[in-house]
Amino acid sequence: MDFNFIWLSLGEIASPTTAAYALATIGLVVHFGFTGLLNFGQAGFMAVGGYAFAIATLKFDAPLPMAVLATILASALFALILGIPTLRLRADYLSIVTIAASEIIRLSVKTSELTDITGGATGLNGAAKTFNAINPFPKGNYGFGVLTYTADQLWVRVVGWTLVALACLVVFLLVRSPWGRVVKGIREDEDAVRSLGKNVFSYKMQALIFGGVLGGLAGMLFILPRSLQPDNYGTQLTFFLYTIMLLGGATTVFGPVIGSMIFWVTLSLSDGLLALGINSGILPITSVQQGPVRFIIVGVALALLVVFRPQGILGNKKEVFFSA
Amino acid sequence: MTATSHPRSSPHRLRLLLAGLVAVFSVLFGFGGSAAWAASSAPIDPTTAQESLAVWLRQASDKAGIPDVSFSVKGSGFDATFTTDAEGRATVGLPGPGTYTVEIDGSTVPATAGAVPSASNPREIDVSATNQNVPVNFLAVAGDAGGAAATPAPATSASTPATGTDTGAGGGTTSGGSADTSDPATTTVDAAAGGTGFWGIAFSKLVTGLIFGLLLALAAIGASLIYGTTGLNNFAHGELVTFGGLVAFTAATLGAPGWLGILLAIVIGGAFGLVQDTFIWRPLRKRRVGLIPLMIVSIGLALSTRYIYVFFYGGDRLALPNDPSPFLVLGPVSLRFTDVMGAVVAAVVLVAVAFVLLKTKLGKATRAVSDNPSLAAASGINVDSVIRSVWIGSAALAGLAGVLVGYYQSLRWDTGSAILLLIFAAVTLGGLGSAFGALVGSIVLGVFMNLATLVIPENLKYAAALVVLIVILLFRPQGILGKRERIG
Repeated sequence: MDFNFIWLSLGEIASPTTAAYALATIGLVVHFGFTGLLNFGQAGFMAVGGYAFAIATLKFDAPLPMAVLATILASALFALILGIPTLRLRADYLSIVTIAASEIIRLSVKTSELTDITGGATGLNGAAKTFNAINPFPKGNYGFGVLTYTADQLWVRVVGWTLVALACLVVFLLVRSPWGRVVKGIREDEDAVRSLGKNVFSYKMQALIFGGVLGGLAGMLFILPRSLQPDNYGTQLTFFLYTIMLLGGATTVFGPVIGSMIFWVTLSLSDGLLALGINSGILPITSVQQGPVRFIIVGVALALLVVFRPQGILGNKKEVFFSA
Repeated sequence: MTATSHPRSSPHRLRLLLAGLVAVFSVLFGFGGSAAWAASSAPIDPTTAQESLAVWLRQASDKAGIPDVSFSVKGSGFDATFTTDAEGRATVGLPGPGTYTVEIDGSTVPATAGAVPSASNPREIDVSATNQNVPVNFLAVAGDAGGAAATPAPATSASTPATGTDTGAGGGTTSGGSADTSDPATTTVDAAAGGTGFWGIAFSKLVTGLIFGLLLALAAIGASLIYGTTGLNNFAHGELVTFGGLVAFTAATLGAPGWLGILLAIVIGGAFGLVQDTFIWRPLRKRRVGLIPLMIVSIGLALSTRYIYVFFYGGDRLALPNDPSPFLVLGPVSLRFTDVMGAVVAAVVLVAVAFVLLKTKLGKATRAVSDNPSLAAASGINVDSVIRSVWIGSAALAGLAGVLVGYYQSLRWDTGSAILLLIFAAVTLGGLGSAFGALVGSIVLGVFMNLATLVIPENLKYAAALVVLIVILLFRPQGILGKRERIG
């Protein structure tokens, strides 16, 4: 039997995908956990960020800093467009609009009419060229055993986790600032904050833009080690992020990081265990049936978490505003 | 806060709406007819043409190419006949971008290969500039499909489920993009193929849209009732829809006739709703779980239920036995038996639902709970049992919608979840929590989506519907029939 999958699963702790999911979830925590905005379209922010980066790099030959700037501006603009009509409405309206907007993005970029710009249904490939060009690590292999990485793979991991750490730091400081207190106040009681003379709409918009930009950067990070595929940005990506957020703790800064690590290690381990069980004939299912199992697990976990441990692993039960 | 609207009496508005619908109908049935085709033209070398079609005719059962079948390509003043090669393929050079009609000559299809369903033949293909090798795939179905069946009654001749029609084949591969089966926008059967001229096409799209709107309404009314009585945006409503389709598919596989499959979908679908309410939603209500966690629970439920379907039924399209031959021809529109029956059944059931809601004790109680649960409870209504009935009824309606959508478009594990956002859009359009609003919203949305494809690419009609949703929230968040205070 091949038990390498255990090591590979543990390798998920540091993978760039885990970092991208963590970063997107930090954005979601800013939206949902701290401001109380029910954003069901974080996948759309990731798509906007990823496409902005890839299109700037591949179609306009933009240097890396310009491409990153494009990512930030595009996701901020998306947040602005989304926020103006919806932030005055009730939370469940916002959720439907954001989920609809993210689907509009996904369906629009994959139409064949836009193939010249967005690559249509096949997406875009090679957006990491400017990123890998400034890789300071000399060529070679790093790591040990099955967890051996090329210089480019190491580079994206280092940058990805640096980004995550920076985002954590900024959010940590922001939440403890006067801005953070107002935003948390909006989450608890919007009218009370409004009666104190604060412009609730403006604070909500700032939170939506800030979390959206984190989502956009996560979208960029997500495509650095892979090609850009429009169907990666379906609604279930958002639901994965919600699972990660509720797992780690929706009102915590470091919850998303822990949550993302546990999420990916668990998925990877369960995949490995299932494959092992199927190949050795212990489990009476086919390898085709193995694929859906991870989604079934995620769905059940999401439902159970929100009911039985809404504060997540790191959260404080007193701060769980949404189960009231 | 938002665009102000003065309260108007809703019967008045309803009357206006009905008058509008009648007017639309009387205008639409007034025209029809077909334009004459241009004379035959010389073939164009596909290797040098800027635009070309890649036609591929295959056997549905084993995907083997069917050679030596002739087909015609017409449109933009071009009219020529071609023959498929040994692999069943042919590449056709075109004179320029435009809309072309590709029609397989049924008489040249070998009898052993069966026939190409009339729902997908002839087919209209939009070709944009410089689109080469735009795929036009046809599948021939063995058996009696498409034959000269005088009394096509698929509902009772459901004994051959294995030879299902792959009706979605190429249905969405209009302009060079690869077909994506995960979106309803691209899996729609152009049941109303064969439209000629702009008005003919518009009319056929209107009919398609009306039928789809009626089917959508079945699902949307349930979602709206659940929202009205419990406040839950049920993200797992799409799975209730898929469930009905899967029940009917399983029944058909076991040899049950179509009407029995539909009945079973309603009954077992309703039972599924009861089970969900008893084991998930009722305990959560007892725990006083908030609305946002409830919504997230429904997302988790949707995700796992959807993939349980994949686990048992696989990820491929499931074919419900269907007779593709035209049953009703209205001018340029030809409809299959199942299209007509689907619309009729949906309309009858919707009227029945309206009767129940307006005239029966349960319906009045439902509307009372929807309006104000505390007041309803105080006036002696058993809120919990009303909610249970709503779950059963909504799930049964969703199950029926699932079968009918399965017949109308195609059935897959994600059939329901693919239209979930359309259900939400219809409910929001009509007014959250208003059952009649959901009905109006669904029909408006269905017609709008299909008419929109006159000006936008076919695969963007789903996105267009979602844009409508956002625009409505901008200008009239309470929807067409909704009450102003609901926007909170």
